[in-house]
Amino acid sequence: MNEHEKIRALLSLAAADVLEPSEEKQLMDHLRTCDSCGVELEKWKLLAGGLRRLPTPQPRSIVVERARAQAQIRLTEEIEHCWNRTVIIGLLLFAWILTLLSWPLVRLFTGGLLGMLDPRFNHAWIVFGVFTTTVWLAGGAAAVLLSLQQRRERRLA
Amino acid sequence: MDMTGNATVYGVMTRGIAGRDGAAATYWEGRVALDSDVAQLRRGDLDALSTLLTRYQNRLYRYLLRMARQPAEAEDLFQQTWLRVAEKIQHYDPRRSFEAWLFTLARNLAIDHLRRIRPESLDEPIGDAAQGETAATRLPSHDRPPIEGILQRERSQRLGVVLEMLPVVQREVLTLRFEEEMKIEEIAEVLGAPLSTVKTRLRRALERLRVILETSYPGENWQ
Repeated sequence: MNEHEKIRALLSLAAADVLEPSEEKQLMDHLRTCDSCGVELEKWKLLAGGLRRLPTPQPRSIVVERARAQAQIRLTEEIEHCWNRTVIIGLLLFAWILTLLSWPLVRLFTGGLLGMLDPRFNHAWIVFGVFTTTVWLAGGAAAVLLSLQQRRERRLA
Repeated sequence: MDMTGNATVYGVMTRGIAGRDGAAATYWEGRVALDSDVAQLRRGDLDALSTLLTRYQNRLYRYLLRMARQPAEAEDLFQQTWLRVAEKIQHYDPRRSFEAWLFTLARNLAIDHLRRIRPESLDEPIGDAAQGETAATRLPSHDRPPIEGILQRERSQRLGVVLEMLPVVQREVLTLRFEEEMKIEEIAEVLGAPLSTVKTRLRRALERLRVILETSYPGENWQ
């Protein structure tokens, strides 16, 4: 491909104003000596001008209003969902902290009466730990399933 | 140059600079307002959603219409896009251009829609080439040759019709560049393609458009 052909390939992009500065300089230098490329560039510019002046179709106002109303409802739902998630996470953390703290606290306040809750690695501790974790996991799984079901229902609606 | 001449030149230059500064100020005001609206929308402000919808309604609809070609489908996609905006705004990265993000959402929905409804339209909108059908043969009836002084509106209408005959990947790159006036980098972001690919698509789209126009309406001025 010679210089002239290379420049020809750039003309349409020049009309679209997307040339690199180096390509633009190359084009300008070539146009000083090549009238046919100048004519060709004018044709591309006319076409580009035509494309820029195409009329803008407008959506019907009823469609815009419907989109606005639906999007506002969805945004409200999303914010509510986000808030609910934050509250649930906060509650979960709070409950876990309370649970963990309760063992040494109970022992402290009962003066060692409830020795079975001694946080040392004994049988009662393991049973209690497994029981608590199972209950929490079951509760968490139920919450996740309910949330997924809600989301599916909302999507179908 | 005498004093009067100098004064005139100075006046023209001052007006020019003032005009440029005015345009720049308007641009930055627009950007600040947009950023503020987007930030408010991320906080869940319904008014900000309404403002952004009003701001982009025509441009977004035009883009979707160029993609889908059918007004009813474009309207449906328009509504879906704003629903998607409401759903995904929390995931929007404010360092990105909101415009590019919005058009990316719209594009993904339009591509999914076209893939579902008319899979063939993603590759080639023109019928079977083996049967001799070309873009030009699908143009509206054009019995009489173009006459001098033909109305701009009619030219635009024809240009719009020919534009619809291009493949969707070429249509969209043309509409993003010339109608939406996006920079090439923004187009690349919307399309999720490298700059070189965008430029190649743009060049091929323009070349194809011109071939169809020159075949169908020889000698016509398309400005």
